[in-house]
Amino acid sequence: MQQTHINREIIGRYIGQPGQLPPALRARIERDWGDEPVQLYALADLDAGLRLGESWVALGPRRVAVARALPDANGSDRGWDIHSIDRERIQAVQESPGLSANTLMLLGAPDDPPLAVARYTQRQRGAFENIRFVLDEAIVGRTVKPDADADQVYADAVARPIRDAQALVSRHRATVILRLLKYLAPYRRQVNFGMGAAAIITMVSLVPPYLAGYIIDSVVRPVQEGTLSRDAAATIAWIAVATMAVLYGIRQTAAHLRLKLMSVLGELVARDLRAELYEHIQRLSLSFFSRKKTGSLITRVTSDTDRLWDFVAFGVVDVSLSLIMLIGLSTVLLLMDWRLGLVMTIPVPLLCWLIYQHGERLNRVFLRAWRKWSRVTDVLSDTIPGIKVVKAFNQESREINRFGERNEAVTDEFNRIHRMWTTFWPLLMLAVHATTVTVWVFAMPRLLGDGAPLSAGVFVSFLLYTTMFVAPIEVIGQMARTMNRATSSAHRVFEVLDSEPEVRDSQKPVRLEPVRGAVSFENVTFAYDGVRQVLRGISFQVQPGELIGLVGPSGGGKSTVVNLLARFYDVTGGAVRVDGVDVRKLDSGHYRRQLGMVLQDPYLFHGTVLENIRYGHNEASLGAVIAAAKAANAHDFICKLGQGYDTVVGERGHTLSGGERQRVSIARAILHNPRILILDEATSSVDTETEREIQVALERLIAGRTVFAIAHRLSTLRRASRLFVLEQGKLAESGTHRELLAIPDGIYRRLYEMQLQLQ
Amino acid sequence: MNTLERAMPPHRDKTDEGVTLRNHGDGRLMAIRGETSIAVKLRQCFPWSEPTRHLSLRDSDDQEVALVDDPSSLDAESRQALELALAEAGFVLEVTRVLQIEEEIEIRQWTVETKQGNRSFQTHLDDWPRLLPGGGLLIRDVAGDLYRLGDPARLDKKSRALLWAFVD
Repeated sequence: MQQTHINREIIGRYIGQPGQLPPALRARIERDWGDEPVQLYALADLDAGLRLGESWVALGPRRVAVARALPDANGSDRGWDIHSIDRERIQAVQESPGLSANTLMLLGAPDDPPLAVARYTQRQRGAFENIRFVLDEAIVGRTVKPDADADQVYADAVARPIRDAQALVSRHRATVILRLLKYLAPYRRQVNFGMGAAAIITMVSLVPPYLAGYIIDSVVRPVQEGTLSRDAAATIAWIAVATMAVLYGIRQTAAHLRLKLMSVLGELVARDLRAELYEHIQRLSLSFFSRKKTGSLITRVTSDTDRLWDFVAFGVVDVSLSLIMLIGLSTVLLLMDWRLGLVMTIPVPLLCWLIYQHGERLNRVFLRAWRKWSRVTDVLSDTIPGIKVVKAFNQESREINRFGERNEAVTDEFNRIHRMWTTFWPLLMLAVHATTVTVWVFAMPRLLGDGAPLSAGVFVSFLLYTTMFVAPIEVIGQMARTMNRATSSAHRVFEVLDSEPEVRDSQKPVRLEPVRGAVSFENVTFAYDGVRQVLRGISFQVQPGELIGLVGPSGGGKSTVVNLLARFYDVTGGAVRVDGVDVRKLDSGHYRRQLGMVLQDPYLFHGTVLENIRYGHNEASLGAVIAAAKAANAHDFICKLGQGYDTVVGERGHTLSGGERQRVSIARAILHNPRILILDEATSSVDTETEREIQVALERLIAGRTVFAIAHRLSTLRRASRLFVLEQGKLAESGTHRELLAIPDGIYRRLYEMQLQLQ
Repeated sequence: MNTLERAMPPHRDKTDEGVTLRNHGDGRLMAIRGETSIAVKLRQCFPWSEPTRHLSLRDSDDQEVALVDDPSSLDAESRQALELALAEAGFVLEVTRVLQIEEEIEIRQWTVETKQGNRSFQTHLDDWPRLLPGGGLLIRDVAGDLYRLGDPARLDKKSRALLWAFVD
């Protein structure tokens, strides 16, 4: 539901096109169809003349409707021209993709004109592909009944590109900032101390200029005029100096406390966010990771939390203090002398606005510089990894020139930025000084006795206060930028935290102790996107200890079968059972501990060989590790490594060859001792000799376990108890190697013979 | 068998020699060679470098049926049919005015007027308009739609100001 809500919000906010089939039109179509429901629909947003327009294509169980908006004389919609087609008349569906215009044709009898033609931009393509899939399936005799609600499927298809590109949490920035500030709640005491210290700094800063004025008016002048004795004056003066010294002491103590408290506090908030984020990421389903780039997730845990630290520790306090400071200063000045106070305070909003405008202008130039900078980095990321090609084609000079031109261009932009800020800030300071001069202009006659009286002390205080305006004005002027940066990071962080794992344990999960390894698929259907089924009604039963080979052409559904078995996803229809229990009822953590996987490209973590073999089983003895490595044919090569089992294998195990990594991962699986084992193309990326060694290791590994092995090289599956041939999401054939070879024109037989010929 | 599905006679070099083209008036482009007629889709080999030449005609399995290097070598009716199909295959939205460009969280939101009507679209923040070989800019949005700005210098003042950061 939350996803649908976000999709709707995205469409409403960004797309500028209808977010759903107009309800009145939908009702009319369903009425025309005798109350059959609209199962799927899509917006054909281009008309025959390739102008943007609004037509809808709706799919029902027996009909397809095409509805075109009828514009009246004023151009507004006055109704719909609806044309329904019986689905049984559709013999072919043809899509012609263009650069931005796609055409979908529903074709009937040969040589007849198309039954319907719809034109649409790429934005609508996902929605049309859903319709096309269902129609294509029907043409080959397979009925697909979309499970999800039509509005939901449409919104998902249209909003998906934006949702995948953007981390939208809430359209209101204030909501996001407030949510961020909630992370301060556990540290309320520190926040109060920090804010208190900051308030003290502000208050104390206001006192010294006042004291300076007081000393001039109440001590220096009376002494010079002879109205105050030197001794009394000296006493007052020294008290004032001592007060000033104490105040500065207090101010710096408060500054120290504030910096210390808030930086530690910011770090604690960042730690909490990082921990919550990482913990949440670990719980998310695989579908989330297929949508988001790894780099982007890493950035969220690192840079974004760091930026939020900065905001919480300093941004919040700086902005609030600057506001307090400006209000405090203005009040004090107006109270001291309202005429001069007005001269000084009236320009403040203007100065803040000028700084804001400067920031906006600078942003545009930064954008231009950023674009040009990315062209410089493009050359680097092209030519440094591809240096061999550059040299082989003798293109060094060309590449040097290309880099040189782009380097020049970006330097021009950076210089433009420097020209801007080096001009702006002196000008701004000039404006501040001009205000000070204006204060002098107004004050001078009064100091000399014309107009309202003004004492020298008040004037000196005034001048000292004016110097304190610049810093808070600068902070307030840059507030928008600070908030923007923080909210962007907060959106990215909260998006992850708000994503719900799609695979969740039931309220009272069952633990199978022990797992025997009986697996059954009961009429399992599965669609990654809710519409296009990659598994269609698959049923089979596997006894504990069986070795099942999954074979068939690419895209047939082999990997999906093992993904469902591992419960990385939940079935769309039917059930997957282990030892008779639906996997959705199992404690998934406990269940996966009974499950082992050896993948085509084994993943080793940065660490030693020992740590990698013991991953998840830190308690395993060194003897057990050696035994597992021996069984995996890995012991010998590990002993030859510089530091044996303590050798660090580097990031992703890059210091080892593909075959070596594979054997370490097999050793890991042996130590893991799973009841059910999944081998996904475990030997496909290695040479023949290595494959033989791995094959021997695998044979030791699979003994006594239920094994599902995916392999393209069919020869590696000869020992399988049974082979399941999957084609187009269906279990097309099953049986032993011999049985399948005996099927005339069988898929397995064809694949096997093709591979024999290639050898 | 549907004529649309019927394979064209083998033609090794797959050039445009001997192919005539007809438009059925319903959006279908038919390639006719000898007695065989087949519905084809048109793909431009160089949509920006040479948009009107080197046109690949492909069947429903996306196999090339013929490659038309130079449409002027075709008869008038074939040329006309080809031009109609080309307008559709090479269609991109032509921006005539930029109304707003706003940066949001991880995306840039564009509001534009195009020859085809008003449109809002989004690009990734680090996706920049691409300079086309024949001049002008090409913007690709997150959904894959393409937007062409023929000559940014001839746009109105506000559009030029909004585009300033994106144009050299």
